[in-house]
Amino acid sequence: MARVKGYPEALEKKLRDQRYVREDSNPEFTKNVKSISRTIAHMCYQCGTCTGSCPSAPRSTYRIRKFMRRAVLGLENEALTDPDLWLCTTCYSCADRCPRDIIPTDVIMSMRNLAFKRDIVPVNFLKTVQAIYSSGHGVPNNDVNRAAREKLGLTRDPPTTHMYPEYIKGIQTILNHYKLKANADRIVKEREG
Amino acid sequence: MSEESGAKHKFAFYLGCIAPNRYPGCEAASIKAMKKLGVELVPLKGASCCPAPGAFGSIDLNVWYAMAARNLVLAEQMKMDIALLCNGCYKSIWEVNHKLKHNKDLRDGVNEVLKEIDMEFKGTINVYHTAELLYNERFVGVDKVRDSVTNPLTGARIAVHYGCHIVKPHKDREFEKEAMLNTEHPTWMEELVAALGATPVEYRNKMQCCGAGGGVRGYDLVHSLDITNEKLINLKEVKADALTDICPFCQLQFDRGQIEIQEKFGVTYNLPVLHYAELLGLAQGMSPQELGLDLHGISCEPFLQKVL
Repeated sequence: MARVKGYPEALEKKLRDQRYVREDSNPEFTKNVKSISRTIAHMCYQCGTCTGSCPSAPRSTYRIRKFMRRAVLGLENEALTDPDLWLCTTCYSCADRCPRDIIPTDVIMSMRNLAFKRDIVPVNFLKTVQAIYSSGHGVPNNDVNRAAREKLGLTRDPPTTHMYPEYIKGIQTILNHYKLKANADRIVKEREG
Repeated sequence: MSEESGAKHKFAFYLGCIAPNRYPGCEAASIKAMKKLGVELVPLKGASCCPAPGAFGSIDLNVWYAMAARNLVLAEQMKMDIALLCNGCYKSIWEVNHKLKHNKDLRDGVNEVLKEIDMEFKGTINVYHTAELLYNERFVGVDKVRDSVTNPLTGARIAVHYGCHIVKPHKDREFEKEAMLNTEHPTWMEELVAALGATPVEYRNKMQCCGAGGGVRGYDLVHSLDITNEKLINLKEVKADALTDICPFCQLQFDRGQIEIQEKFGVTYNLPVLHYAELLGLAQGMSPQELGLDLHGISCEPFLQKVL
C-alpha cells in the first residue's frame, strides 16, 4: 500500500492499543476507511474544527467530528446507517483547517463507498450513473438548449459524447467492469419498483 | 517570448456537463474571450461527464478515477494540456490526473480497466482552470485581461463566489500562483473583477460553499438551498449588483436556486449570477445575446443596464 502523508510506522504499533476498541468496534472498518480515503483518519484528536467549519452542521444534526470518532473507534454500523452521512457537500473546509492534516471529507467519501457496498445509497446518486451510462453526461443536453447553442454560434450538441456517441461504448465498458450500472439498476428498481 | 498575433497557447477544452448543456454562454464566451487573450481552446472530442465528483466519488472512487482517466487520455492522445471552466470538473480532472501521476497503485488499477477500451493513462499532460490561466501571467495575467477590455463594467458592484473544488483542499493543490493557495480570504478573483473596470465587493463568509456539492442538491434540496440562502443574505447586505463565479454548478445553484428559494422559502433576491467568462465577454464587447444571458433563471437586465 502507498504510504500515507504524515503516517509514521511507529504510530501504527501504538494505535493497536486496546483502549481504542469498543465491543461494537470493527477494527477492519478503521483500516478500510484509511485505505479508501488515503488520509490518516485515526490521527483525529476530536478538536471539532471540522464541525466548526462545516456549512451543513448549523442546519442539521450532521456532525463530521462524530464520523471521525466512528472512524477511529471502528463503529461501522453506526457510521454507515446514519442518514447524515449524505449531508456532506464536500466543500473541504474541514480539510483546509484540520490541525492534524487529515482530510475529513475524504473520510466521509470512503464511508459512502463502504455504505454503497451494502446497498446503502440515496437514489439520486444512482440516477447520475444511469444518465452517464446512456449519454456520457450527468446533465444531458435538451432541445431548448440545442436551439440556444445554435444561436450562440455553437454546434447544437457539444463536441462531447453528445456529438460523438461512438465514445459512449468505452464509458459503458468502464461502468460494467465495476458492475456499477447493474447495481444501480437493481437498487433503483428495488426502491421505486 | 514573442508577442505576435495568433494563439500562443493551445489547450484541449474540456466542457463538462452544465456549461455546454445549461449555460452554453459560458462555453461561447470562454472560447471567444480567451482567443483574444492568445489562448486557443480546441474541442476535446468524445469527452464525457468528468464524472461528477460528488455522485461518482461517493459510490465508488475507483470508478471515478477510471472515468476521469478516460477523459484525460483523450487529451493525452491529442498531446495537449486541458483547460476547463468548472470547479467540479477541476476536482475530477485535475485531481485524478495528479493522483494517478503520483500513485502507482492507483495508476495500475486504472490502466487495468482502460486496457479493455485500448487506452492507457500515461500522465503526460497538465490540467488548468481557465480562471487560473487568466490570473497567471505565464499564460495571460491580470494586466492583459485589463488591456483586452473595450467596455469597462464601471460602476457595477460585483461579489465573487470562488466555489470549493478549484482551491480546496489547498494542501493537495499545486498552483503556480501562490495567491491561489489562500483559501481563507483569497482576493485573486477580485483582482480579475477589478481588471474589467467593476468594483469588487467583499461580503461575510464569502468562502462558504454554494450548497450544491457532494450530491446534497439531489439528496436534500431544502438543506442545500438553505446553505445558498445564507450566502444570498450576506450578499444582499453589501448590495452587490451581481455575483460572479467560476463554476457552472455553483452558478446553477445560485441562479436556478434563487427561483427554488422563492418557491420554498418565499424570499426573493433577483441577484444576477454570471460566470467570470460571461463577465469577461461583456467587458470585451460581446452582446448579452452572444452570451446567452437570456438563458439565466434570474434576469441579468438590472446589471446590464448599469454596465452597457
